[in-house]
Amino acid sequence: MSDQTGKQLSKEEKDARFEAELLPVLDPLYNFAYRLTLDEDDANDLVQETYLKAYRFFDYFEQGTNAKAWLFRILKNSFINEFRKKSKQPAKVDYSEVEGYYNTDDVEGEGGVATTTDMRTESVQDLIGDEVASALNALPVDFRTVIILCDLEGFTYEEMAKILDIPIGTVRSRLHRARNSLKEKLEKYAKSMGYNS
Amino acid sequence: MEAKFTEAYPKAPDAAREAECGRVSDMLDLMIDGEASSEEQRFFNDHIEECVNCFENHQKQKLLKGLVSGHLKRVIVPQSLVRSIKARIQETL
Ligand SMILES: [Zn+2]
Repeated sequence: MSDQTGKQLSKEEKDARFEAELLPVLDPLYNFAYRLTLDEDDANDLVQETYLKAYRFFDYFEQGTNAKAWLFRILKNSFINEFRKKSKQPAKVDYSEVEGYYNTDDVEGEGGVATTTDMRTESVQDLIGDEVASALNALPVDFRTVIILCDLEGFTYEEMAKILDIPIGTVRSRLHRARNSLKEKLEKYAKSMGYNS
Repeated sequence: MEAKFTEAYPKAPDAAREAECGRVSDMLDLMIDGEASSEEQRFFNDHIEECVNCFENHQKQKLLKGLVSGHLKRVIVPQSLVRSIKARIQETL
């Protein structure tokens, strides 16, 4: 089992090492899973499955290397192999369900952002976040993925290429197209915020 | 301003400038993602100093990235998930 490390770890040692090295990635991993599945239960299952797989293959994980990229890659593969098949609908694009309370049309109907100026800054931040989430969730999953990996998790192009099993050139072009789509979706909103001259 | 501008670039005809803009436009993502080489960065920064259009495109692209990195809410990991991961690992041999 432990060919790679050379010496056999006891289960306690292995578990301790596993928890110390891989559990700190739980938060970004869960967020990634959620942004892929757009469902908290699915994200839960996906993350759990990812950790179990990682545990099974932990002997092949080189200590001190990029644990985060390694786990993201396992999760992405699980998502493609199992979850995409399971949920037959072409990703759950119904973001209104997920993002809940805030309705874009209402705000625009009532004179748009003008109504938000009295709000606390925090609420305005929430509002922008909701718009971004809506726009992002409406993108095809491949586009959503590269934007999350790059802009939210700060992976390099090289790391993204490894996580996604695609050449760096493809990472670049996919990211480019993804941003164009996102831009399009956010444009109306951006204009109303005075971002787009 | 105009005179100074022409003086600084006496040998850059429109076609050459347009080609530069094209190259700069292709580099937008590299720049905002911190993936451009130092040579590319120098070329890019020199260009946007003189080209309003490309300067604005760069601002917009940075803003777009900032909207995701700065405003997208993170979801909270349920405590039960940590517990169940640990439990399932413990029972795995
Ligand atoms: Zn230009």
